[in-house]
Amino acid sequence: MTEKLAPPLFNSLAEQFKPTNDIIQTSLQLKGHCAFLFYVKSVVDGDKLQQTIIRPFFEMASEEGFASYIQSLPNQTDVPDYKKLLMMLSAGFVLVAIDNRTFLLNIRLVKNNEIQETVMEPTIHGPQKGLSEDVETTINLIRQRYHNSSLKIEKVKKNDVSNRAIVLLYDDDRVDPDVLAKIRAKLEEINTPLLQSAEDLQHFLNQSKLTLFPTTMVTERPDRIIYNLVGGKVVIAIDGSPNVILAPVVFFDFMSSMEDNYHVSLVTGFTIMLRYLGLFTCIFLPSFYVAMTSYNPDILRIELALTVAGSRIGVPYPSFVEVFFMLFFMELLTEASMRLPKAVSATATTVGGLILGTAATEAALTSTIMIIIISAVAISTFVIPINEMSFAMRITRFILLIYTSLFGMVGLLVGFIGIIMFLANKDSLGIPYLRISWKGKSDELRMNNK
Amino acid sequence: MAGIKKMRKGCLLIALLTALLLQSGCAFKDIDKRVFVVGIGIDPSDKVRNGFKVTLKMAKPVGNVKQATAPVYAYISHDSESVAEAIRTMETQVDKVLDLGHNRIIIMHRDLLSKDLDTFMDFFTRRGDVQYIAYVAVAESTAEEAITFEPVTETPASIALYNYFDDTGTESPYVITTFLFEFRREVLGKGINTVMPIIGIDKENNTFKVDKSIILKLGEEPLELNSVETKYLNSLINKASGFSYKVEENDMTLVLNINEVKMKYKIILDEVSPRIDMNIKKVGVIGESDKRLSIKHLQKYDEIVADDVKKKVMELLTTLQKNNVDPFGFGLRYRATRLSRKDIMDEWDRIYPEIEFNVKMDIQLKGTGAVE
Repeated sequence: MTEKLAPPLFNSLAEQFKPTNDIIQTSLQLKGHCAFLFYVKSVVDGDKLQQTIIRPFFEMASEEGFASYIQSLPNQTDVPDYKKLLMMLSAGFVLVAIDNRTFLLNIRLVKNNEIQETVMEPTIHGPQKGLSEDVETTINLIRQRYHNSSLKIEKVKKNDVSNRAIVLLYDDDRVDPDVLAKIRAKLEEINTPLLQSAEDLQHFLNQSKLTLFPTTMVTERPDRIIYNLVGGKVVIAIDGSPNVILAPVVFFDFMSSMEDNYHVSLVTGFTIMLRYLGLFTCIFLPSFYVAMTSYNPDILRIELALTVAGSRIGVPYPSFVEVFFMLFFMELLTEASMRLPKAVSATATTVGGLILGTAATEAALTSTIMIIIISAVAISTFVIPINEMSFAMRITRFILLIYTSLFGMVGLLVGFIGIIMFLANKDSLGIPYLRISWKGKSDELRMNNK
Repeated sequence: MAGIKKMRKGCLLIALLTALLLQSGCAFKDIDKRVFVVGIGIDPSDKVRNGFKVTLKMAKPVGNVKQATAPVYAYISHDSESVAEAIRTMETQVDKVLDLGHNRIIIMHRDLLSKDLDTFMDFFTRRGDVQYIAYVAVAESTAEEAITFEPVTETPASIALYNYFDDTGTESPYVITTFLFEFRREVLGKGINTVMPIIGIDKENNTFKVDKSIILKLGEEPLELNSVETKYLNSLINKASGFSYKVEENDMTLVLNINEVKMKYKIILDEVSPRIDMNIKKVGVIGESDKRLSIKHLQKYDEIVADDVKKKVMELLTTLQKNNVDPFGFGLRYRATRLSRKDIMDEWDRIYPEIEFNVKMDIQLKGTGAVE
């Protein structure tokens, strides 16, 4: 009895993978039965391989029996063309050859499928777990919260080098077909060698090169995803990223926290009001200081005007330099405490915030009122629930500050109107960015429900 | 090529914009380079004929307001032909920009009131940084003295005179508040005379004393009201509450605390003689008494008080009428409610000296002020 030879496909595949060490090309032989396996060891689940393929082979009596067993496995797929086959093998598929037939089995070993804690949008109430870095797990998490046949899952393959899966999720009954078509076209257009994460993909979905305000939202909260799916939005998930993209979004989406749904109405109303006050504080306060100390001190109360004037005694630079100086240090502090390891970041904040602040006033570099303003600004920036928007507001603040330094109170107003105009002119996949929808929660969820 | 050109243009634009940042411009003036004027006094000048002596009270910023013990104000004055000139000259006397934006009081000398008021007050209505909500007042002696006087209760960064006239500080029916906008409107308008408070100084206690008022007549000698008249007038015009009133009737003395005043009047001309019907309602409690009072007799007290108060109001109204001044604005009401005619004010000027007053006083005492 002559030994059967591996099919020529296997050899050419092995040739292709060389000199990688973790490819396995092996044969199973028992009493003249023979099967060939080809896989990449590091991405294949060894136990599963053993249980679903190797052991049954030795228990089966015939090659035909084994072949039909393999064919009936749920994770069996057809063998695609050569190029795609290579990609799938490197993703953890196992190629099995019996007789002249070849089968492709999905026995992927996915190590990054644990469910992440919510870090970007933590809430007190509501789900505490976010999504997973593995897209299959993410889809599972979404499906398990949304048992509905109208939830469609659509794979989009981009030919970037990493060959990651990009998945579109939407509720077919509720989604706006125009928006969906636009997103498909946008994804089609993307032509980049490497896509790494949801945030990465988001940049390519944004219309223009120079953007300040995000037109799609990156989220990690499954409750937000479901809420938006029901609202008729499209979810884009990418393998390897614990976040997904929601599109289209309006400005006010960035100002809402999922926790708004979990509190009693007055508490929610209060927190929403707090959030908007925080938003206005963080973009206006520095400019306001400049406008009031250098252009129109008349609008302050006399007591405050005298206190501000008193606290500025000996400060060498004009007010806007003072504000820029302090904002610069505040931004450095924020950035530093974000990048530093958790254990050190507390020290950085203390050293920076407390010591620098006090020392700066002692040294008459800034006024005491300035320190209060800067701290209020720093705190209120973080009241904005979605991180991307709070980053955008950090920059908006500077734009307003420049306008105010040049033109005073009028400049502040003109700058603000300019920003409003800019936002009103912006759209997210055809939806006006500043659209205010006077809708109740139940109306919002019934959106486009024909 | 086009790309480079575009980039150059962009760079130039950014450079120009950055350069703009360095030009702080003329409007840009830091708060520590301004000196806030917190009071203006105008007196007739001794040095310049027909001129004015303008005194400014300026607040000096202090590093720490809480640790400053004494009030920190500086005063300068200058004689000149006009107010504007004097202030312009004073700008050369201080190193900082004179900022009138926080000035809320303008004190005038009494002698200036009979002169052409509107010409020197014109400056304040024209200058952009003077607020129309500034108070105008008359000094009992000289404006300079009233402006430079620092009462014992004045604290740093809080100007005592402001507290008199805005309702955040003391609230007394003796204090009449007149704003610059009112002053301007009433001086130039017809049918109403402006009432202004008189700021006196109590040397003994080292405090201000604001309890009298003066009624302006353009181009004529003004009429001064004593403190009781001021109180009555203020309670009727401005519905000033906290009005305490003493009634003496059959060896009984009552002091009332009135906390609600309502006044309505009607000019009636179609009857035999012209008449003004005035309905006054005052609600309050008895604050002090030298006799035991019973709540059952409350109505009796009401009547006693009403008779007495009515007498006082009538006295006030006739005094005003005799002097031909009209702080209530009866004339204004007359003008506003008749068809406009050419000589409508002359008509009123004929009617007013002969008009009769019919005052109906309704006093409602809510209690005797004590628990039985």
